[in-house]
Amino acid sequence: MSGFAAVLRKDLRLELRSGESTLALLALSMLVLVVLVFALGAARVRSVDAAAGALWVAMVFAGMLGANRALLAERDNGAIRGLLLSPLDPSTLYAAKLCAALIFMAVAEVGAVILMVLFFNLDFDASMARLAPILALGAVGFSALATLLSAITGRTRGGDMLLPILAVPIFVPALIAGVKASAAALAGAPFESMGDWLKIMIAFDVLFVSAGYLLFEHVVGGD
Amino acid sequence: MSAPVVETRSLAKAYGLAPVLREVQLRLLAGTGAFIVGGNGAGKSTLLRILAGLEAPSAGHALVFGQDTRRLAARYRRRIGLMAHQSFLYPNLTARENLEFYGELYSLADPRASAHQWLGRVGLADAADIRVRAFSRGMEQRLSAARAMLAEPALLLLDEPFASLDHDGAEIVAALIRGAIERGACVLATTHGIPEIDGVELAVFEISRGRLMQHARKEEVRRGGRIRSLLGR
Repeated sequence: MSGFAAVLRKDLRLELRSGESTLALLALSMLVLVVLVFALGAARVRSVDAAAGALWVAMVFAGMLGANRALLAERDNGAIRGLLLSPLDPSTLYAAKLCAALIFMAVAEVGAVILMVLFFNLDFDASMARLAPILALGAVGFSALATLLSAITGRTRGGDMLLPILAVPIFVPALIAGVKASAAALAGAPFESMGDWLKIMIAFDVLFVSAGYLLFEHVVGGD
Repeated sequence: MSAPVVETRSLAKAYGLAPVLREVQLRLLAGTGAFIVGGNGAGKSTLLRILAGLEAPSAGHALVFGQDTRRLAARYRRRIGLMAHQSFLYPNLTARENLEFYGELYSLADPRASAHQWLGRVGLADAADIRVRAFSRGMEQRLSAARAMLAEPALLLLDEPFASLDHDGAEIVAALIRGAIERGACVLATTHGIPEIDGVELAVFEISRGRLMQHARKEEVRRGGRIRSLLGR
């Protein structure tokens, strides 16, 4: 547990010191939302379906950036080798990295939701509270997947390009469920009506977190 | 006779079709120090990475504390200190924060006190609260030595520990190596030239094109023409 806390505390300290990831995630979320608002046109800017879709596109891009950056710090000066040589269990390292990516993504999500409400002329009401657990489920699943995959792509040349190519197709089922559930939440539908979508998201969360926890030690490396 | 801390049996490593290490036989006991001398690309760093468990050999066996380095459990990893070409330090953390972080990873009783102590030992007490990104290469090398030795490992693997160090820095690292050997650690270091470490008898190996070619005491090596010419002396 002390190793987990040490890595997470170190990652948060590095982020608080530079602010690089959080600012980049917020800027990217805003950019995606602005582009989509203009692309969709005035006729659809009050559509909850369009808003939910735009929010999730922003989230996915921000999540990739967040996961990539969480492991990028370990590539500086070969620090990843120092971690792998230490008594720290690789699965614990994965859990700490996942938590860090999740925190960065959660900050970006808060910003993205505020921007979505402003850009899509929505109201801050009870639907936002219903949206929170859906976004939380999405953030857990995507952070888990992107953290695992960034450990692989970070070792390859052009890994930054490879991550979205690998992550997005795998995440598509959870993404569709997240968009549908979010649209339903924004439309004011009760939780019971989105039960199937939430079950799909929970199933993918369990799958991605388990896969990351079990496979991380086999894919992470110093090269 | 005590069990060796390091033992390799017909160890070989190749990257693709290019062999880097061939039939390496090595056996080191606790409380001993050895230097591996060799030119660039001779395979020195690869050997250390394999012994640290960071790379797998292509053939043969590498054992530390009697354990295969392919599957080193945490309790054995914590007894290894590695000082590599890369410092393993975080540029945006201060020297103190870096050492405290590694102290926590190694579950030291008081990481803060250990960090303070080691910063003093490597002559960086005054730079404790400066971020590593502002360090010179020599200061970073000294801090890297402190990081490697922080948990007082029983096996110390040092890849060119004197690189980028000035005279004072080299003296400090030499004293740390001597101290490690005296407390019973096994030290294996690579170098282009053989350093002077007073009061310590060092074994010297020469590695050339992946083969451990020669094994001699330092004095013998100094008398030998081949290594002397290799060192440019």
